[in-house]
Amino acid sequence: MRQYVVKRLVMAFAIVYFVVSLSFFMIRLMPGNPMSALEAQLQKQGGMSPAEIQQRVQAIYGLTPNEPLWRQYVSYIWNALHGDLGKSISDPSQSVVHVIANAAPWTIFIVGSALVLSFVTGLAVGALLAAFQNSAFSKSMTFVVSFLSAVPNYLVAIVLLYLLTDVHHYFPISGAYSVNIRPGFTFGFIGSAIYHAVLPVAAFVITSFGAWALSMKGTAVSVLGSEYVRAAESRGLSPRRVAQSYVGRNSLLPQVTGLALSVGFLFGGSVFIEFYFSYPGLGYYLINSINSRDYSVMMGCFLLITTSVVLANFFVDLVYPAIDPRIAKPGLARRAEEDKEAAEETVAVPGVGV
Amino acid sequence: MSFLSDFWRIARADRTGLAGAVVVGFYVLMAVFGPLVAHVSTVQDPMKAYLPPSWHHLLGTDSFGQDVMAQVIVGTRPIMEVGVLAASITVFVGVVVGLVSGYLAGTADTVIMRVTDVVLTVPGLPLILVISSVVRTSSPVVLALILSVTAWAGLARAVRSQALSLRTSDFIEAARLQGASLTNIVGRQLLPNVGPYVAINFLLAITGAMYAEVGLFLLGIAPVSGTNWGVMINTAMNQGALYTSKSMLYLFSPMAAIVILQVAFVYLTRVLDSLFNPRLRVQ
Repeated sequence: MRQYVVKRLVMAFAIVYFVVSLSFFMIRLMPGNPMSALEAQLQKQGGMSPAEIQQRVQAIYGLTPNEPLWRQYVSYIWNALHGDLGKSISDPSQSVVHVIANAAPWTIFIVGSALVLSFVTGLAVGALLAAFQNSAFSKSMTFVVSFLSAVPNYLVAIVLLYLLTDVHHYFPISGAYSVNIRPGFTFGFIGSAIYHAVLPVAAFVITSFGAWALSMKGTAVSVLGSEYVRAAESRGLSPRRVAQSYVGRNSLLPQVTGLALSVGFLFGGSVFIEFYFSYPGLGYYLINSINSRDYSVMMGCFLLITTSVVLANFFVDLVYPAIDPRIAKPGLARRAEEDKEAAEETVAVPGVGV
Repeated sequence: MSFLSDFWRIARADRTGLAGAVVVGFYVLMAVFGPLVAHVSTVQDPMKAYLPPSWHHLLGTDSFGQDVMAQVIVGTRPIMEVGVLAASITVFVGVVVGLVSGYLAGTADTVIMRVTDVVLTVPGLPLILVISSVVRTSSPVVLALILSVTAWAGLARAVRSQALSLRTSDFIEAARLQGASLTNIVGRQLLPNVGPYVAINFLLAITGAMYAEVGLFLLGIAPVSGTNWGVMINTAMNQGALYTSKSMLYLFSPMAAIVILQVAFVYLTRVLDSLFNPRLRVQ
């Protein structure tokens, strides 16, 4: 078990390190070179001596442009480790960490609720589809479900906006809570936050529960046809017992693996959804900073989105042994890993590759 | 030929799959011949804004008085072009990495797979947004490269595990004993065996790339120029289409064009899947 956890931890750190490095090289070396663009912009504004300009650039990116590249790289990583990601370009009084610390909880709130809701609905629908395989209900429902899972979530967001907020005012257009409510642990605030989260979460759930349902249906159907289920049935075990411990558990395994993969997808998709609902999460600030060329905030948001995904994956990896006990036992681990890998391939959550 | 007759036999039984194939074929025709048939007028006439559908304008007009139908047709090519390009890159990289890694096994495989795992975990869409904001390109090839930056990893992993099981089989053993080169083994021996799987993933990669691509145009992060569905929705929203019910056709036409194509691809994938996996047909 310890080896398992250590391996996952090392991997998580490797990914975060990789992304921090990537964001450094992007600011420094990419074709657009945001850093020299900022220098040029400050020069054009005038009224600043070259030394002041250097200082300003350094304050914003945490990098000194005339240092050798490796020194810049080391200090960038060092700063990032200390939680210093520079300052916002459009508003230098704000630190990047401050901006993203306010945004992150909102993203985690809607992505988390969407994930739980679509996972639970998807598994329930999928189990129903498998149980009544050849009924008319199952056939038409399969059609609806695969249709919905092929629709991009941003289009659903636009349709919801159009139908329910802008033309008919059933739901709030923007924000995470009503402006006349003070944030706090009160019913009014929590109610308002939920009211504002309904449409963004709905856009997610509508487009992602279908993939769960289809994948659950697929595995459940093949588990139902397997010999150990037939053996359990002929031993006279109660249908309830067979459904829960034989069919249920074995159909659930691949879904949990899929859960880890879909976390990344949902965080990615939240960029679009937050932008359209003007929901003040990481994705919203990511797009805004791209549009205002605020590259330091942009990199900060990207870094935090990645870190959240990595953490969520790590968490799923920790939960996994509870569902598949073999994984943490050295002798059985290899076999379980193989099963898990095979499952990863069969769980086709659309858009995961994106 | 037997492939086509198999396809026809299965597609006949699976009507939705057949419909998917027909729709995808129709879009391909539209992408190839559309710009020859339809022309987006450069004349803007605010007096003709948001005209209802008529024989002259089958889907009405947009806020500038231009024909919506013509824009939807002309907009097909750029989207399909970049989608197919991106999918080709994705599938090429994924298959080569997967086959080589799986065939070599051992340390090389471990290293390649750790890198693949990293790429697989980095959330693709935000990365695509970040890269395209720095690169700012309107070149279809560069756009396709950006869109496939993380998409290959999942495919590489899946192909690798198939290659792992193939590498111990007799015919690979024989090829190795004959001293066949790595390119020969990977390209001529292993590739044909994962062919069907790759074909399906090519279609899935197109839908994935189009999802991200349209999103980029929609948000205005890829340069908003020319006519394509993403640009259309972007312009519609900037022209206040969300606040009036007159704009419904203008806003929803390009959206319908995307959704119908995505759904068609999904059904086509499914029929191909049961064509290549006889086991699925039995269930």
